Amino acid sequence: MRIALIAILLFVVTVGSVVFNFTTPFHFDAIGSNWELIDITVYITFIICGIVFVVLGLLMAWWVHKFQYKEGKFAEYEPENASLESGLTIITTIGVVVMLAPGLVAWNDYIHPPKDAYELEVYSKQWTWMYRLPGADGVFGAAHNKYVEFDNPFGMKKDDPYGDDDILILTDTVKIPVDRPVKVLLRSEDVLHDFWVPSIRAKMDAVPGMVTYFWFEPIVEKMYEVLCAELCGRNHHSMRGWMHVVSMEEYGTWLNDQVTWAGFQEGQVPLSPEAARGRDIATTNGCFACHTIDGRNLDTGPTWLDIWGGTVTLDDGTTRVRDEAYIIKSILDPHAEIVEGYSPTMNVPEITEEELQSILDFMRVLTSEPVKTEPAIEGEEGSVDLPEGEPTTQPTEEPTTD
Amino acid sequence: MTDTTLSSQESIFTSTAKDWSSDMTTFKGVPWGKAMMWIFLLSDTFIFTCFLVGYMVMRMTVTEPWPVASEVFALTVWGVSVPLLLIAIMTFILITSSGTMAMAVNMGYQRRKWAVFWLMVATAALGASFVGMQCFEWPKLILEGVRPWYNPMGAPQFGSIFFMVTGFHGLHVSVGVAYLLIVAIRVVRGKYDHTNFEIVEITGLYWHFVDLFVVRTEA
Amino acid sequence: MATVEVPYQETVPLHHPKTWIGKYIFSQDHKIIAVQYGVTAMAVGLVALILSEFMRLQIAFPGWEWMDFFTADHYYQAITMHGMIMVIYLLTAFLLGAFGNFCIPLMCGARDMVFPFVNMLSYWVYLLSVIILMVSYFVPGGPTGAGWTLYPPQTITAGTPGHDWGIATMLISLAVFIVAFTMGGLNYITTILQARTRGLTLMRMPLTVWGIFIATFLGLVAFPALFVSAVMMLLDNFLGTSFFMPAIVSLGEKLQYSGGQPLLFQHLFWFFGHPEVYIVALPAFGVVSDLISVHARKNIFGYRMMVWAIVAIGALSLIVWAHHMYVAGMHPSFGYFFATTTLIIAVPTALKVYNWILTLWRANIRITVPMLFALAFVLTFIVGGITGLFLGNVIIDIPLSDTYFVVAHFHMVMGVSPILAIFGGIYHWYPKLTGRMLNDTIGRIHFYFTFIGTYAIYFPMHYLGFIGVPRRYYETGISDFYPQTAHDLNVFITVAALIVGASQVLFIVNLVHSYFNGKKAPANPWGANSLEWCTPETPPRHGNWEDQLPTVHRWAYDFGVPGEEKDHVPQTVPRRKAS
Repeated sequence: MRIALIAILLFVVTVGSVVFNFTTPFHFDAIGSNWELIDITVYITFIICGIVFVVLGLLMAWWVHKFQYKEGKFAEYEPENASLESGLTIITTIGVVVMLAPGLVAWNDYIHPPKDAYELEVYSKQWTWMYRLPGADGVFGAAHNKYVEFDNPFGMKKDDPYGDDDILILTDTVKIPVDRPVKVLLRSEDVLHDFWVPSIRAKMDAVPGMVTYFWFEPIVEKMYEVLCAELCGRNHHSMRGWMHVVSMEEYGTWLNDQVTWAGFQEGQVPLSPEAARGRDIATTNGCFACHTIDGRNLDTGPTWLDIWGGTVTLDDGTTRVRDEAYIIKSILDPHAEIVEGYSPTMNVPEITEEELQSILDFMRVLTSEPVKTEPAIEGEEGSVDLPEGEPTTQPTEEPTTD
Repeated sequence: MTDTTLSSQESIFTSTAKDWSSDMTTFKGVPWGKAMMWIFLLSDTFIFTCFLVGYMVMRMTVTEPWPVASEVFALTVWGVSVPLLLIAIMTFILITSSGTMAMAVNMGYQRRKWAVFWLMVATAALGASFVGMQCFEWPKLILEGVRPWYNPMGAPQFGSIFFMVTGFHGLHVSVGVAYLLIVAIRVVRGKYDHTNFEIVEITGLYWHFVDLFVVRTEA
Repeated sequence: MATVEVPYQETVPLHHPKTWIGKYIFSQDHKIIAVQYGVTAMAVGLVALILSEFMRLQIAFPGWEWMDFFTADHYYQAITMHGMIMVIYLLTAFLLGAFGNFCIPLMCGARDMVFPFVNMLSYWVYLLSVIILMVSYFVPGGPTGAGWTLYPPQTITAGTPGHDWGIATMLISLAVFIVAFTMGGLNYITTILQARTRGLTLMRMPLTVWGIFIATFLGLVAFPALFVSAVMMLLDNFLGTSFFMPAIVSLGEKLQYSGGQPLLFQHLFWFFGHPEVYIVALPAFGVVSDLISVHARKNIFGYRMMVWAIVAIGALSLIVWAHHMYVAGMHPSFGYFFATTTLIIAVPTALKVYNWILTLWRANIRITVPMLFALAFVLTFIVGGITGLFLGNVIIDIPLSDTYFVVAHFHMVMGVSPILAIFGGIYHWYPKLTGRMLNDTIGRIHFYFTFIGTYAIYFPMHYLGFIGVPRRYYETGISDFYPQTAHDLNVFITVAALIVGASQVLFIVNLVHSYFNGKKAPANPWGANSLEWCTPETPPRHGNWEDQLPTVHRWAYDFGVPGEEKDHVPQTVPRRKAS
């Protein structure tokens, strides 16, 4: 009998899917938390569903081939078969129970954090992460979005005594100690976000107006990239952060360097208000989709760490001092001077002069060495609207190699 | 179910099962329009239910105080503040209109066209006066400072829900008034002479439904 | 009592239009309305298809200079419009508007829908909703980019493209669509319940009608939730109410909202959204059941169980909605309940799959183009169904939600599967509708491209989800969780998507070409039993039947009955005394 093409196709697709499953490198990566139970549930489901898929797929292929049309042949007339149907119902139900039971057990664990878990608040906003720890007293100070101000980024309630020792982490990088369960409390300043590290397996949405939670226990010391998993606006894809799982020792050292809410109010801020504002402006304008502030150079743009100072080679081979004029020009007219190895893809940001100054304040903080400002244009600092047609006058000066 | 089935010894259960397993029509003797109106009202019930679910969720989760309905809707008559008077009057009007509507339906089956006409017009008039009273109630609240987005007496959601649900209900009543008038005119013009005047009953179904919801929404 | 009952439609004359416009434009004939629905849905679906190709190009080649115009705003607008168009304006409209209109009166032996005028209105209001939706591309700010789920507060805050006008047109369009659907849906249900012909009991109806019936019912109880949430969101946006909006600070600006519940919207949305999945799936189930039975020349296995499975799925689908919200921050105890109900729904669904496959056993399978699509549907649906078991199980959903696993799952289960059923249905009923056969060769080529292509797109995509690639990312960047190999896979998927997209041209060419040049179709080219193949004329005229409506004597699946002359016995043939 001629083999029908569709029978071959069904066979190939079924077998091919299985082959793909076993040869593909794309599976869960090594787990970084206590949630093996999730992985186990996935494997159970995988096995049961895989068997069902293969059996059904192959049966289809085989029967489509075997029972092809013959003129004059009558199909078997069997409208129902009660015992077969009830048998299949029972088998399916058993399969479903086997898949569901471990899932519900794991869910029970998932929603009940252990008593000894410490609390970490993840504060999300478009499009960055910040963190807060309850401090020495172990109790978070009251906070609400309605208190959020320029100088109160977490919306702390000012007269709440529990809040004074709360530790504020105003960057998108947090360190957590290994082998200690952590209950993550999620807050959002604006829209839905979702704090997610694939290797940890756990995630939960941050919903404005309420505090949600999940918990996990990291088991590997590693730097994890934090993703936002819930669509949160036009820069959703660039809302990243870092979660660094470290030893208890390193964690302690790091924690001592962090600023408390009381200290923050007294002015011990890692960022001046202007610089913090600059960071916010850069965030909302999507700068961090292409630029980092931690020294990593993405394909799309150079890092802002230490961007201010030193020299750089442009794509036309010339060398250029990275002074203030260069920075301003690179922001306002990004395609004029391109650093070697990058393409002119940056959009011209729509920012006011004031906002530009705030961004510059922020960049100044990122530069560890003294800011090299060319005296020639310092007087013009206020006037950033550089004439567009003006040829690059500054680079003719010899770069000061240091 | 027709009277023939009811008169027999069958229980409701067996006769229902029989109707559902029969051919042609499932609801025996029910005209198409009536069946359609029932199904529409089922769908519409879900709309109102969703609004009320929204109301309940708001009421449960809002932290600011929720105004006491009987004080907000009190009406001062001859110097005495009577709580919920306006709502009582409005409810009374609509329930009365249900009565006139039921009479219209009855007259319809007796094919007394003019009686149907006047009773439906009376129903429509009562409905219109209900909408008119709503037009009185809304500015009263607005003058007291209640807005869809703001409420001086507490939670802003009170104003939001109030205007949304009463507005939606008022829209239903207004549509009902228009529907009643159209049907009433078509009845006297003889458009339905070849039928059993079930259109009057269908209109009545809609009207009773709207009345029913005044109780739920104003509560 | 049944002996004295006469189908009401036999007693009233049908009003035949005289003018061309009355016949073909403002037509009250259900078949013309079906075509109008179908053509509009396909046209708007083509827009969504093109949007998806842009999205795929962006994902595979971020930073490609030809795609420079396609900014993140455009991307998020494209995912929103693609999703909404495909789910509502293509699938719902096609399966219920086109197949529903075409199949219900013909398969029920009715002259037309019970209220043809309301039915006509339904189409024109639907067209209006499509136009309003398309207008959103021309309003300031463009269409909304909030994702098709339209979750607040994001939808109406400044960080989202189209947060003022775009969302308004979207919500208004949805509300108008719901009005259109309600007018159509009331007709479908009333026709099925009250306008069947002699002898056609509910348990003799073809499964297509059953699927459409339950799906329409679901639509009538589920769309109100969407309607209400659309109204409330419009009020939030334009009147400043705070139904869904808590106190928030949007991009540094404090907004005048307080006390709203974003989760309320999600609950309302998914109370609509989950039944919506079955509004699309159930008619597809029905169509595929009929295709498999007819082309395998065998009765559908376990008809009664198929019917009850449809009813059970419909009923259960109303109490599983929060399985879309496991990570949304709702009260965690809900997880137990919704995981359990969700996995329970897998049982009747699995039984349907078994029954389709068991229908093939000892059948006499004609491998026609509709049969090809039906077989492809079953396999695709198996993949989509079992990945649903992953996501429905609350704890597995935690790592997989909002990743490409979800994207792959729902495209398999409610994107590709219903589309395959729609294609199968079109190839199956086109001869009855137009009186011409579709070109078989083009049909087969179209099938192989579509099936292999879509499988190549979505099967590997599940695995991107396993490594954690989040959905709705404009660009991913090379990162820990996104190795270069994953990027290569994305390029492969995009190439497959472009091929599938391009191959749809074949289908359109086939539709148009065969309409004018196709082989003349006989009255019953597939040897099917259901009533639509028993019309006195092909294509059926206005009113479908002769003076008397047909009389049904049996179910629609009498294939291969022992002792009969032919391998199929149409429903109108009387039973022999002995049986």
